Amino acid sequence: MFTINEKITVEIRKVARDLLKKGEVSAFLGYTKGTVPMVMKPFVARRQEDAERLSWNSFCVLNLANYLPLVLKSLEPPRRPNEPPPEGPLPKVGVLVTGCWSRNMVVQIKENQIERERVKIIGISSRGMVDRKKVQALVDNNEITEVIEEDHKLIVKGHGFTREINRWDVVRDNCKSCVHPDPVIYDEVIGDLSGGRQVPKRFGDIQEIEDMDIEERWQWFQEEILSCIRCYACRNACPLCYCPTCFVDDSRPQWVGKSIDKTDTALFHILRAFHCAGRCTDCGACESACPMGIRMRLFTKKLYKDCMELYGFEPGLKIDEPLPLTTFKLEDPQDYILQQGQKGEEK
Amino acid sequence: MEEKREENWQPKIVAFLCNWCSYAGADLAGVSRYQYPPSIRIVRVPCSGRVSPNMILDALRSGADGVLVSGCHPGDCHYISGNFYARRRFALFKRFLEFIGIEPDRVNFTWISASEGEQFAQVAREVTERVKRLGPARKLVKEIEPCSR
Amino acid sequence: MSNPKGSVLVVGGGISGVQAALDLADSGFYVHLVEKSPAIGGAMSQLDKTFPTNDCSACILSPKLVEAGRHLNINLLTLSEVLDLEGEPGAFKVRVRQNPRYVDTEKCIACGTCAQKCPKKVPNEFDLGLGTRKAIYLRYPQAVPLKYSIDEKACIYLKKTGRCGFCEKVCPTGAINFDDKPKEFTLEVGSVILALGFRPFDPSSLEFTGYGRLKNVVTSMEFERLLSPSGPCMGHMERPSDKKEPKRIAWLQCVGSRDINRSCHGYCSSVCCMYAIKQAVIAREHSKSGDIEASIFFMDMRTHGKGFEAYYNRAQKEGIKFHRARVHTVLKGKDDNLIVRYVEDDGIPREEEFDLVVLSVGLETDPSAISLSKRLGIELDADKFLKTSLFSPVSTNRDGIFVCGAFSEPKDIPQSVMEASAAASCAQERLWPSRWTETKKKSFPPERNVYAEPPRIGVFVCSCGINIAGVIDVKEVTEYAKTLPGVVFAQNNLFTCSQDTINQMAQTIKEKGLNRVVVASCTPRTHEPLFQETLREAGINKFLFEMANIRDQDSWVHQDDPEAATQKAKDLVRMAVSKVRGDEPLPYNFVPVKKRALVIGGGVAGMVASLSLADQGFPVTLIERKDRLGGHGRKFYRTWQGNLMQDYLKGLIETVMSHENIDVRLNTTLKAVSGSVGQFRSELSDGSMVEHGVAIVAIGAESFKPRKGKWNYLYGKNPNVHTLLELDQRFIKNDPGLLGMNQAVFIHCVGSRVPERPYCSRVCCTHAIDQALKLKDLNPDMDIFMLYRDIRTYGKREHIYEEARAKGIVFIRYDLDNLPKVSEKDERMTVKVRDPIIDEEVVLHPDLLILASAVRPRDDVGELSKLFKCAMTEEGFLLEAHMKLRPVDFATDGVFLAGLCHYPKPVEETIAQAKAAASRAAIVLSREKVPAESITAIVNPMKCTGCALCTLVCPYHAVGIDENTGKAVVDTALCKGCGACVAGCRSDAITLKNLGNEQIMAAVEAALEE
Repeated sequence: MFTINEKITVEIRKVARDLLKKGEVSAFLGYTKGTVPMVMKPFVARRQEDAERLSWNSFCVLNLANYLPLVLKSLEPPRRPNEPPPEGPLPKVGVLVTGCWSRNMVVQIKENQIERERVKIIGISSRGMVDRKKVQALVDNNEITEVIEEDHKLIVKGHGFTREINRWDVVRDNCKSCVHPDPVIYDEVIGDLSGGRQVPKRFGDIQEIEDMDIEERWQWFQEEILSCIRCYACRNACPLCYCPTCFVDDSRPQWVGKSIDKTDTALFHILRAFHCAGRCTDCGACESACPMGIRMRLFTKKLYKDCMELYGFEPGLKIDEPLPLTTFKLEDPQDYILQQGQKGEEK
Repeated sequence: MEEKREENWQPKIVAFLCNWCSYAGADLAGVSRYQYPPSIRIVRVPCSGRVSPNMILDALRSGADGVLVSGCHPGDCHYISGNFYARRRFALFKRFLEFIGIEPDRVNFTWISASEGEQFAQVAREVTERVKRLGPARKLVKEIEPCSR
Repeated sequence: MSNPKGSVLVVGGGISGVQAALDLADSGFYVHLVEKSPAIGGAMSQLDKTFPTNDCSACILSPKLVEAGRHLNINLLTLSEVLDLEGEPGAFKVRVRQNPRYVDTEKCIACGTCAQKCPKKVPNEFDLGLGTRKAIYLRYPQAVPLKYSIDEKACIYLKKTGRCGFCEKVCPTGAINFDDKPKEFTLEVGSVILALGFRPFDPSSLEFTGYGRLKNVVTSMEFERLLSPSGPCMGHMERPSDKKEPKRIAWLQCVGSRDINRSCHGYCSSVCCMYAIKQAVIAREHSKSGDIEASIFFMDMRTHGKGFEAYYNRAQKEGIKFHRARVHTVLKGKDDNLIVRYVEDDGIPREEEFDLVVLSVGLETDPSAISLSKRLGIELDADKFLKTSLFSPVSTNRDGIFVCGAFSEPKDIPQSVMEASAAASCAQERLWPSRWTETKKKSFPPERNVYAEPPRIGVFVCSCGINIAGVIDVKEVTEYAKTLPGVVFAQNNLFTCSQDTINQMAQTIKEKGLNRVVVASCTPRTHEPLFQETLREAGINKFLFEMANIRDQDSWVHQDDPEAATQKAKDLVRMAVSKVRGDEPLPYNFVPVKKRALVIGGGVAGMVASLSLADQGFPVTLIERKDRLGGHGRKFYRTWQGNLMQDYLKGLIETVMSHENIDVRLNTTLKAVSGSVGQFRSELSDGSMVEHGVAIVAIGAESFKPRKGKWNYLYGKNPNVHTLLELDQRFIKNDPGLLGMNQAVFIHCVGSRVPERPYCSRVCCTHAIDQALKLKDLNPDMDIFMLYRDIRTYGKREHIYEEARAKGIVFIRYDLDNLPKVSEKDERMTVKVRDPIIDEEVVLHPDLLILASAVRPRDDVGELSKLFKCAMTEEGFLLEAHMKLRPVDFATDGVFLAGLCHYPKPVEETIAQAKAAASRAAIVLSREKVPAESITAIVNPMKCTGCALCTLVCPYHAVGIDENTGKAVVDTALCKGCGACVAGCRSDAITLKNLGNEQIMAAVEAALEE
């Protein structure tokens, strides 16, 4: 008997091998097993035989959309800044996507970071990825030497212990509240699509914070970012952070100081989150990448929620829909505007 | 956080005003001699659409007790649509700041036209009052710390 | 015939003369501006504030005067008069005499030492004798040219040679020249514009006012000076007898106006109602205690202009008392107080005590203007105003000589400015082949390269008389400025915008090697261009400049907190210095001009504007939404002077249709507009594209039809109830049904001056009265009743009001609480109205009921205003760039307006405004290129990700993605510098030149430094 993920792995290898063999793609972006348990590494297969190293399981937490532009770029002939792009079609890349990654790619396409024609998208409906930190916590942070994954449980082994864990219990928070597990754009699908999910309290975590009073929220925010060491792993993991010079590194203008001063850290998180407003799909890569366990997803998810509430917008669902901050409606809500200067608006 | 504040403490409020409507409205307040507290420091920008969250954060970081952003009324923008983009940006940003615990009255947005001198003075008074009620800002103010931590 | 001369003579240096001169000089003509006094500025420079915006008169006028004074193509001839004129249109020879100033203008630095030492004091005519000046004097502090002159009638030395001569001894530059002689010379010009202005009526002859006998009776012009901060009591409002602040002030309207018996002036002076309300409002603001009681005694309240009615309503709300009564006697009371006796509607005599009485004196023509008219052979009317025809409102009886301003009829500033531009347009219609033949070209010195230099900042702190210095410690601010990093020079000036200070600023920039300048004064919105040009003259790029607004946004709004205001001024200066430190020199961009005008609307305004431009040699595309030209004019019978509209219209349409330069497109509307001044591209409803450099919006208005509701009055129900224009159509058709009628009733203000339409429609009173007179002509025995609220036959129109009363037409006043009641039984109409004089209800049974209904804006104004990005008033009329001084310009460059879409107005004013729009448009069309935005966005390709967010938020499609590099690029010809792209860019890859994030941060951080 094969598990679902094992079946998918077999399919992935087959598809990748075929694409590379036919020359339809010059590279295939997927995952391979890391050197320690519960760590999957993004992997680029460039030759047919590389396809055998591709793998799929519940630990594919890093967002492949983040690596895609780089892989595409690596296949282009080098050219000087003002040189026109070469004639003719450029080499293609095959890539695995789940719901959120595909939506990131939709954003990337809108923002000219990738060209749809150069990507062969292989869709997989996400069953939710596992939060390694949750597993670790369940075994009292003892060293884990092996994890065997079944469809609904994980068997975790370490020195002197074996533990069976219900898989859903350790799935990442963002995956638990995800209603779009199926890819929105794809060329081929592996496995079955779910047709979408229902989640009872999708923004329950945000609501909880909103229900606090203002000082409690400030307290929460302060504590949440207190441990931040400004390593920028969250930024680096994010498929939406692709500025050549990040605002945190820029000195002209210097919006944020480079120290780990608490104001600078706060400004970093505020601005990072705001840069993702209307773009972030809640893929959770940032949180998964964070070595300090900071839940910065709560910041971006708040903006996600507000975009939905104010403008009925969810990022990356439709390829022909403008991003919310690049468009407007005459009747957009403006109840936050001081009433004094109000005139003539029907509201 | 109840502490006694000086009665005549004047907050410092940075106001980003668009050149065409709100800055002109502030001029008109002057021409009409509408008096308001001396708390507002006006930074003239071409359009409310020119104002980014970064600029608001910069003001708070540098010690502003309050921020006011004002542009033309929706539909009146000298640059056609700048204030509409601004309206979305600030709606999200203001909600976000409140989410992380910045008092709603710290950061204020409004529309003031070139003919609304009185309204400008009124807004200046009102915003000053709101900020005074909150007291000096501390939350996002960068403190100059000694070299050793 | 050889080409006409390329120069024009403008006589009169008031606002209208200055405007005409500027329009002409800006569109390629050399202008000689002749002014009889030592300085230009005219009556407007004497005013304190202007209605209805309460703008400080000097503040809005000053930049224009300075511009005229500095204009390369305006030859300012002060102390000069025109002697005579010969020749013909296109080639006049004008003899001019310039009287001696006795001060060499090249040498005078206006330091004022001479006036300090001068022992001779005489009454100051600028303050109407309320204050004194010396025999050597400046007409007023911001005078242009800012040069002293010697009053030869007062000067001791000149009267008795050899005595005194102190001024000569103390003058540091040796500018005094007692040997100065009158000079006579001949100017050759193609055209002449007379802007001779008016003088205030002298009420000395009106015994009942007590003027001249009672100290505390002053004229409105005198009161204007009492209010003015530069006036005899520094704006502290003191009454003449005891220098105390008056608490109870009365204004008596119609002194020297609407009065044939006592002053021989039958006309209405048009402006007095508004200036009286303004003075009452301002007096209350000026008052230290704020408890001023202001009462205005009037016959009809004439607030018939744009924004006037709202101003009147506001004044009533603020507690200014309005008495509908004519005062018959002003008597001396206790302590030089005044007892005012008057009778109101009820006929009961009353009296009330006041501390001060202001006589709202009318306007009349100055005797010098009358004698000049005689010398030039120019015809005046019985009121001694210049005689014009309503269809050519700025022409005189002599071809090639035009008129503007109050010389042809009493009128307010915007109307005068409009006429000034109109007169300029008329002159250009003949002289256009000689454009740019006699003009000089401005050349600035090459700009110093300052890139490698560290900032050397100069700070100029303005006192603005007492406007700033009265509240802020300017000396302290100046000293503080010197301590700021980069500042190498700081100075305090009395009036930084005065010509001498500006010249000195240029000098200082050169001497001190300044490379950045900060002026702390008023608002950059009015004064930035002036100072920027000074930088250029000093060889510095004009963008190395910032202003700190320490007046409008500081001293004026913190009047009772000098300490905080001074602190704020320092902050503002520090912010400006921080910002200017990062300023870089920017290029001066230009846009080539498409030499075509698009005129929208084929009514009178649109046609006149098109024709004026076409006659100046510019191609015009005229679009009209209907299938024929004429607009509202087609429904209009005659002007109040009896000129038949249909005859005029027929000729006008024929000329327009057959003009080789006019492309008329009927059944056509505007779909879309892109581009900007010089380079518009408009899509028309027929699918065609028009490329044009300018646009004139003349889309007209509609007449309010009271089909239902409160103002219905049987309209649409009884066939003999008409609006004014409907009755006009019966006149046009010579409808025999109008003969043999017994009674007509006119109801005024139907849908005007009411809460839902709170403005006066301006035209209806005159129109209705003229129609009543026409009906009376048709049926001499007819009884005609006019039910009105205020009769607003402003200006010369008053004469037909007078005529109507003489012919027995009955005027019954009603107010909003007592509206006329109209009913109908068996086809017999009954109108009931309460007559306030006899205090009884009058019952009328008219055969004809005429509703003087409102002129209302078109419903689709909003769509058009969006296409051109222009603003609208709350009522829905189009809003000009400035209500006083830019009455036909929009804030959007290259777009102008004329006619009813601006505000209701009679045909003569429509024609004047249309010609004015043509003149303003010609300033653009006469050039090969116009200046474009320099503060544009710029992309840093190293930071750009090519995400294209900037291209999506740019309203002008000025940003695109380069195909090769994949990075954003800005088209500077399209960029307007709004900065939407900058705020949208996450990567800080796009910035505005001199308004980048770093510079805004610098200002913000400077604001918050302790």
